[in-house]
Amino acid sequence: MTIDHSATSNFPAILASSVHDIKNSLSTLGALIAQLKEHYPEATPPEFRQVEFEANRMNNSLMQLLVLYKIDASLFSLNIDEYVATDILEEVLAQQSTLLALSPIQLNIAGDADLLCYCDQTLIVNAISTLVNNAQRYCKNKILISTYQEQNYTVFSIEDDGKGYPDNFIAFSPSQTTLLDLTSGNTGLGLFFVSVIAELHKVGNNCGYIQTDNQSQLGGARFRLFLP
Amino acid sequence: MKLNLKSKKILVVEDHAIIREAIKHMLYGLDARNITDTSSGAQAIIAMKNRAFDIVICDYHLGVGKNGQQVLEEARHSKLLPAHATFIMVTVEQQQSVVLSALDNKPDEYLTKPFNAQQLLSRLQRCSKRKHYFADIEQEIQDENIYQAIKLCDEKLELGDKQMRLQLLRIRAELAIETGDLDYAQRTYQQVLKERELTWARLGLGIIAFKRGHLEQAVGYFQQLLQINPSALDAYDWLTKAHESLRETQLALETVELAVNLSPQAILRQQKLATLASQAACWETAQKAYKAAIKLGKNSVHKSSRDFSGLAKIYLKTNATAQAQQLLDELKFQFVNEPDAELQAALLSIDLFKKTGQITLAQRAYEDALVLSDQFGRLTPKETRLQMAKTCFINNNYPDAENIIDELIKCNIDNNTFLEEIKAMCSTFNHETFPANVIYNTKQALININNNGVKLFKEGKIKEAISTLENASKIMPDNQTIILNLAKICVHQLKSTKLTKQKLTKVKDYIDKAIQLEIPLDKISHLQAEITKLNHEFMSHR
Repeated sequence: MTIDHSATSNFPAILASSVHDIKNSLSTLGALIAQLKEHYPEATPPEFRQVEFEANRMNNSLMQLLVLYKIDASLFSLNIDEYVATDILEEVLAQQSTLLALSPIQLNIAGDADLLCYCDQTLIVNAISTLVNNAQRYCKNKILISTYQEQNYTVFSIEDDGKGYPDNFIAFSPSQTTLLDLTSGNTGLGLFFVSVIAELHKVGNNCGYIQTDNQSQLGGARFRLFLP
Repeated sequence: MKLNLKSKKILVVEDHAIIREAIKHMLYGLDARNITDTSSGAQAIIAMKNRAFDIVICDYHLGVGKNGQQVLEEARHSKLLPAHATFIMVTVEQQQSVVLSALDNKPDEYLTKPFNAQQLLSRLQRCSKRKHYFADIEQEIQDENIYQAIKLCDEKLELGDKQMRLQLLRIRAELAIETGDLDYAQRTYQQVLKERELTWARLGLGIIAFKRGHLEQAVGYFQQLLQINPSALDAYDWLTKAHESLRETQLALETVELAVNLSPQAILRQQKLATLASQAACWETAQKAYKAAIKLGKNSVHKSSRDFSGLAKIYLKTNATAQAQQLLDELKFQFVNEPDAELQAALLSIDLFKKTGQITLAQRAYEDALVLSDQFGRLTPKETRLQMAKTCFINNNYPDAENIIDELIKCNIDNNTFLEEIKAMCSTFNHETFPANVIYNTKQALININNNGVKLFKEGKIKEAISTLENASKIMPDNQTIILNLAKICVHQLKSTKLTKQKLTKVKDYIDKAIQLEIPLDKISHLQAEITKLNHEFMSHR
């Protein structure tokens, strides 16, 4: 019997199928966790929070992997439409809801209900969720996500009350990203991903970008995503 | 607005038991009390036949049998979903929404796995808010009160709700197109594009150019859109159409091939690819597309006998008689009481028996085909009829061949492409003078009838004019000139007599027929506008 090695040239299909598989497993895992929680109607053991957190993280990483691969292989195209900016924040809040229910962290959202934004919603929600997920790890007990208009950009801002970004993440620029930054942890990869996604959003000569600093009104790290 | 799930009838379709239970659990947690669940597409269809659901949450991947898209297609096709119902498609990857996108049937929302209760609720709330906001407009559209729908749209736009503005403008432009007010629609799309590059607005500009018959300009718009957004499947579909109208078969073929690569699960695109590839004699591509269409057809409302006969023809061309025989058997078995399928099967049998040297059987199949053609021939598409005529020629049966060709010419006198096809076919039997004569005589007769009708109309004998043209239309039901003049005169008559539902319907039918015959829209749009206006008058005076 001969083995057909052309399978390796069909990598996009293999990757998609693997991601599909893992996502199904994650869904099942989520369902099982929900069932297990039923056994603790009074106080949910703290381990649940860790399990939820890791599941969320796996899901976000998987999505980043697939999108970055597709961009690299020129298989990706944005699906731009008009959305209410606060609806995007509501989606992020919804995505984080199971995790937040298990933790003492307060996540607040703020923004003008009439503010609109043009973007690939699924992508932006996932990107912001990844960063909020990270913020939950580094904050003390408060996170604020807000949206506002600044000149021709709609801005999404994530602020926390933690110790702030370490120096190497301040004024983060994707072009300076080295493999070391990426492998140093989830935060680096997350920032890299959002900056790539931001750059894909273009109107005329304006293109999306990100900024990181420690000027959070809560005293910790501040991340901002600017979309034209 | 708070969404109350308590009274909502909800259907959950998910093959994976654990996830199905989890979704139900979430719904119960959100106060839903009326939940039905099924594990397959077939069961989902049965459930929807028994009960009108308010919300359907359906997984795309349902294991064997129908997938989620096929469930949605059948539900819409058989009108199993109430107008207010929400259909949410659950997928594992966000980009799949693009891949899965069918020609026309889109769910209200996509939801990506894994999701939690809060995400599900927020999606349902958004849907319900939108449906609620547009409910009155949708109702008027459904009742065909286009002018009333436009009025409601304009009133809502006046209110200046920023969140809904673009969606309103989009519907408003589509309504303008429907009433033939292409200028208004064009201005709206241009205005939107000035603010933002949005797929639907650019697509709209292309559609307007297409409807005006400015095909090259339309091609330009669609290509421009695809450069900005290479996954805009609608744009591929329209670009294919435009290339076809320009008779650029090769370009149409290349375009639909790109769309099929992006959305291999969309059966209508596979069918289009198969037909175009056959026309261009790209047998390999056609064969692949037909096979895909047959496979997808198993669980689809779009299953078609043409896929079977088309593939069988290709097998015959490549002398794969065993495969052709097998397809022929399936064609007969799966499409009982369908005139076109039966006649196609009979015609295929003749060729197959000849290829395998069974002359007596071939003769018998030919006789069967003759009987079928006599009984049901008029119910079959013109391509099948032309093939039947050809078969008669081959069997030296000139009278029957001539009868069919005579009818085909009379019905398709305005379709020059098809007339050329008829002439080309006849010339292979050295019989080209026959169609040439019929075409000449038919055109002369047509001019006479038409002149006569127009003359009567000018003399004020409107009833006589209409009955002259109606008689002619009975002989040549698919004739563009007659239908168009009939529609014009009838609209004129309607304006001067008392309106009745019956009269309105008759004229609407003529206009629909004109659209169906692909008469350029600029010749019909003012008639459409008049009739919509008259309809509006009629409805408001009732």
